This record gives sequence, C-alpha cells and structure tokens, in this order.
Amino acid sequence: MYRRLVGANMRGQMQYRVAFLLDLVGTGIGTAAAFGTLALILQRFENIAGWTLAEIALLYGLVETAFGLMDMIFSGFDPGTFGQQVRRGTFDQMLLRPLGLTLQVFGSDFALRRLARIFQGAAVLGYALIAAGIRWTLLKVLFIPVVLASLVCFFGALFIVGATITFWTVESIEVVNIFTYGGVEMMSYPMEVYHPWLRRFFTFIIPGIFVNYYPALYLLDRPDPLHMPAFAPLLAPVVGGGMLLAALAFWNFGIRYYQSTGT
Amino acid sequence: MQPAIISVNHLHKHFKIYKHHRGALGALCNLFTREATTVRAVDGVSFTIQPGELVGYIGPNGAGKSTTLKMLTGLLTPTGGEIEVNGRVPWKQRRAHVAHIGAVFGQRTTLWWDLPVIESLDLLQYIYKIPPAQFQHNLDEFRTMLELDPFLNTPVRSLSLGQRMRADLCAALLHDPPLLFLDEPTIGLDVVAKERIRQFILHINRARGVTVILTTHDLADVEKLCERVMIIDYGRVLFDGRLESLRDRFGGQRELVVDMAEEYATVDVDGATVAAREATRVTYQFERNALSASDLIGRVSARYRIRDLMVREPNIEDTVRRIYEERLLDEE
Ligand SMILES: Nc1ncnc2c1ncn2[C@@H]1O[C@H](COP(=O)(O)OP(=O)(O)OP(=O)(O)O)[C@@H](O)[C@H]1O
Ligand SMILES: [Mg+2]
Repeated sequence: MYRRLVGANMRGQMQYRVAFLLDLVGTGIGTAAAFGTLALILQRFENIAGWTLAEIALLYGLVETAFGLMDMIFSGFDPGTFGQQVRRGTFDQMLLRPLGLTLQVFGSDFALRRLARIFQGAAVLGYALIAAGIRWTLLKVLFIPVVLASLVCFFGALFIVGATITFWTVESIEVVNIFTYGGVEMMSYPMEVYHPWLRRFFTFIIPGIFVNYYPALYLLDRPDPLHMPAFAPLLAPVVGGGMLLAALAFWNFGIRYYQSTGT
Repeated sequence: MQPAIISVNHLHKHFKIYKHHRGALGALCNLFTREATTVRAVDGVSFTIQPGELVGYIGPNGAGKSTTLKMLTGLLTPTGGEIEVNGRVPWKQRRAHVAHIGAVFGQRTTLWWDLPVIESLDLLQYIYKIPPAQFQHNLDEFRTMLELDPFLNTPVRSLSLGQRMRADLCAALLHDPPLLFLDEPTIGLDVVAKERIRQFILHINRARGVTVILTTHDLADVEKLCERVMIIDYGRVLFDGRLESLRDRFGGQRELVVDMAEEYATVDVDGATVAAREATRVTYQFERNALSASDLIGRVSARYRIRDLMVREPNIEDTVRRIYEERLLDEE
C-alpha cells in the first residue's frame, strides 16, 4: 500500500518536471556551496579544534547524507508542508480512509528532489572515508550504515515532533525549524568547538551528539575530549530508535488531540 | 422495524476557544494563559436514522451541522453523548467505520490534487480493497450517470467545482457504502449542475438503497430530495419530521392571486387580506387553518367576476427563513 501511495505521489510530482529539475539543481548548488565554503576556510586554518578537513568531512557527510535521506522518506512529515495540509483539510481526508494515519502521511510525499542533497552528502562522505585515514575494521564497515540509519531516525523524529506540534499551532514552526535545520548545521562540526551548555543541550535535550559526533570519534579512533563512557558511540542506534519511538508516541497523542479539537 | 443505521444520543461537542494574543510575545503568552470561552457547537442532539432514509440536516451558519457530520464520520471525538453508526462507534473504531461509509465535504476534495481523476479512483480501489468486478461495475455506472468521461484524465486541481463534486461523489461510493454523508454537496454549483447532483443522490438512494444524510443551505435540495428534515440551531435539534408538516405548522399564509374581469373600487372579502393590487390583479393572503382555498374562491367569485386565478403555497425558503429569524421553534 505504501508503494502505491508513494507511486501516486511521484506521478503527481512528475507533472511539475521543470520545477523538479530546478529544485534538484538548486539544492545541489546549495549544498555544494556550503561544503565549498567550509573547505576554503579550512585551507586557511588547516584544522578546526584539531580536526582536519577530511575528518570534518566525515561529520558533514554523515549528517548531510542522512538528512537528505530522511528529508526524502519523511517529507510527508515536513512541519512546514504538513501544517498547511492540516489547515487545508488533507489530514481530515486521511482520517476518512481505512488506512493507518502514519502510513498515509509517509505515503503522502516522497520528495525525490532531495536526491541532489543525498548525492552531495554521499560524495563528501566518500571523500572522508578515503581521506580521513580511518583504520578499517569489519566492525567499522558495518557501523557506517548503522550510524546513517540512526541519524535518519533521529532527524525523522524531529520532523515528526515538528509535524505534531502544528496540530496545536502553526506559528511555532519557525522555532521547530531552528532546531531541525540548526541541528543539522551544528552537528556538521566537532562538538568541542561549542560552548559547554550547547553541548549539554545536544547531549541531554536533543541528543544528537550520540548519533554523529561519538560515532565519528569511534571511526576516527580519536580520544574523547568530553570524557563520556567508552560505550558512548554504540548508543547511536539506541538514541536514534528511541527518539523515533518517542516521537511516534507523541504523534499518536497529537492525533487524539486533533480529533478532539479539529482545525 | 429494522434496527437503526445511525443512533445518536445526547451528543455534545464543545470547543474551547483560547484567547489569542498577537505577535511574538503574544505567542508566548498563548502557551501559558488559558483564558477560554466555550462554544457549544453541538449541544445535546439525539436522533435515529433507519436504513434507506434520505435526511436533510439544515440550519443557519454556525448551527453545528458540519460538526455533527464530523462526529458521525469519525473526524471528531464528541465531548459527550453516544453515537453508533452501522453498529460501530466512529471515533473508537475509525478504520472499520470509515471502510463502510462514504463522505463528501463539499468545500474539500477527497481526491489526490495532482493526479488525474481516474488514477485517484484506481488508488481508492486498492485502499478500500474493492473487488475488480465490483469496482468496474460501479465505475461504469457512475461514469455514465455523472458524465465523468470528459475529465477522467484531467488532474483534480484543474477541475471545475461541479466536475470535482461529481468526481468526489463517484469516489465516495465506489466501495458500496450503505451510508453516505454529504456536507453541502451543491455549494457553489449552477442550476444544471445542482440538478444533476440531486438526480444522482436520488438514484443511489432509491436504486441502491444507500442511506443519505446531507446538509445544505439550498432548500430546493431538501424539497426535491428529503422526506425527512432536521433543523438545528445553536447545536440543538429544533425540528425533526416531514417537510410537509413543517409547512403545515409554520407555512404561514397562502396566497390567492386573482385576475378580475374588470377593475373594482373595493375588492375586500371576509377571511382574507389584500396583500397587493395592480390593475385587475389582486393578491389575497389567507390562513391555511382558517379557510380553505375553495371557500375563499367561492367568496370572491360570489362578489366579483373572475377571469383567472392561482393559489400559491408559501415557499419553503420563506418558511425556513422565518423559523431561523423569528426563532419560531425555540420554545419547544
Ligand atoms: N474546530 C473548531 N474549533 C472551534 N470552534 C469551532 C470548530 N469547528 C466549529 N466551530 C464552531 O462551532 C460552531 C458550529 O460550526 P459548524 O461548522 O458545525 O457550523 P455549520 O452548521 O456547519 O455552519 P455552516 O452552515 O456555516 O457550514 C460555530 O460557531 C463554529 O465557529
Ligand atoms: Mg458547515
């Protein structure tokens, strides 16, 4: 059923072929420019907090690839568009169909145009994996898809929470977006460059530190300057999966709220 | 008697409206202050509907019609009271419930905005798991009845209002639901389109035995379709019964229009008032309960020579308007 819904959505998207291509090129240029800037800065300073370009590229590549994937798979939950859908009554229409709501929202959009971002991210990630001097073990090879999946779950959870909040208010979307997109930006850099309270925020409130920074430390065999327990990198799937489950619980709560208030 | 297909008991829906502060600081205030006023959108509604009925649910703007329909279709959870539709509680068994109803909310489409109509319908076949033979049979029938062919391959977003409504009706009925909810199915349509929709609703009710509940502001819909009408206002049912009995009770004055053979100086008769006079044409108004039309005609013709005449029933539009405006039913 999911395949059919997504298929329908893609056929819809294909009707706007020019817009699609422009979007694809646009995001492509956008992400390329972002990484290009980073590379230029690093050329002058050689490293940031002791991280070389290739090492930062690992952080950046993981986050970008995962966020792109998430943005494509979870685009039905994109708080901006989902908020509009609720106001426009599309969500009521989903309530009228004999299918699960989560499935329908997943199936309602599959943003192919995110492919550009994914490829960019994957290219940077590929560069990092080759150039960062990783001492490869089988475990590390297996760990990379786990980290990516954890990141996808992590960002997906943020999207779902954002989408759920729009049941209460659309005005707060900006705030939610700051967390999501700001989080993406910030997680692309090593955590030791940030002020301790920001790090605490990423550890305890939105625990992004476990899905990107610690896995990267592990892959690069870097010592942990923050003195977390040694198993911290392995928490990635736990944190990612846990966030997603918590977000889905909140989502179900939001649906019940919506059914009691309407739009 | 068959068991009711819908039974509604002391249904309530109250909305809390929180006072809204504007601006960025206001948004913060909104989070913490809870100054609320309560809107009693539906305030103690009870009724039952038998299979095969075609019921008009009418009332002025903001009466609570859409809110009732949203609760019956499972979109909203009631604040209080009970609903059973097809033996299910809509908001508790949403998926099973919606698999056995059809619903069209006039201002919104149930179809996929960017897809051609036919693809939307195909998708519904999978969603409702409609057996191919049944799907084909229904689609063929609705295509001809609703004249869908000219725009089957047009994306839904490009359809005119009337075309979209026809496509939506078709979509709502493909899975053979025994029950159909229509919220303002004729809103914004021209006379011809309205008529076509009415014919279709009548057909699926008569030929297929589908129970239909519709809300509308166009009383011609009610007159042409519904044997039973419910009037609600302020969230309460003011009237529930046959349209004729509404007319009998609140119909007010009937009119007799007479063309006299010549112009008379006075045209008075007992039991009727002269409402209008224009050359030889005189319009009398009289109470239906006090005087029959034939008695009045007798009285007029006893005094004057008549060339032609016509009895006019008060139209339902006026009746209902008077009920809304003068709140005629409030004391009950
Ligand atoms: N989600 C909501 N939140 C708050 N108040 C609501 C909500 N939905 C409806 N109301 C209020 O409830 C009352 C009944 O609304 P409803 O939409 O049921 O009226 P209606 O009879 O369908 O009117 P209309 O003929 O204009 O469509 C109105 O006062 C409306 O403002
Ligand atoms: Mg309404």
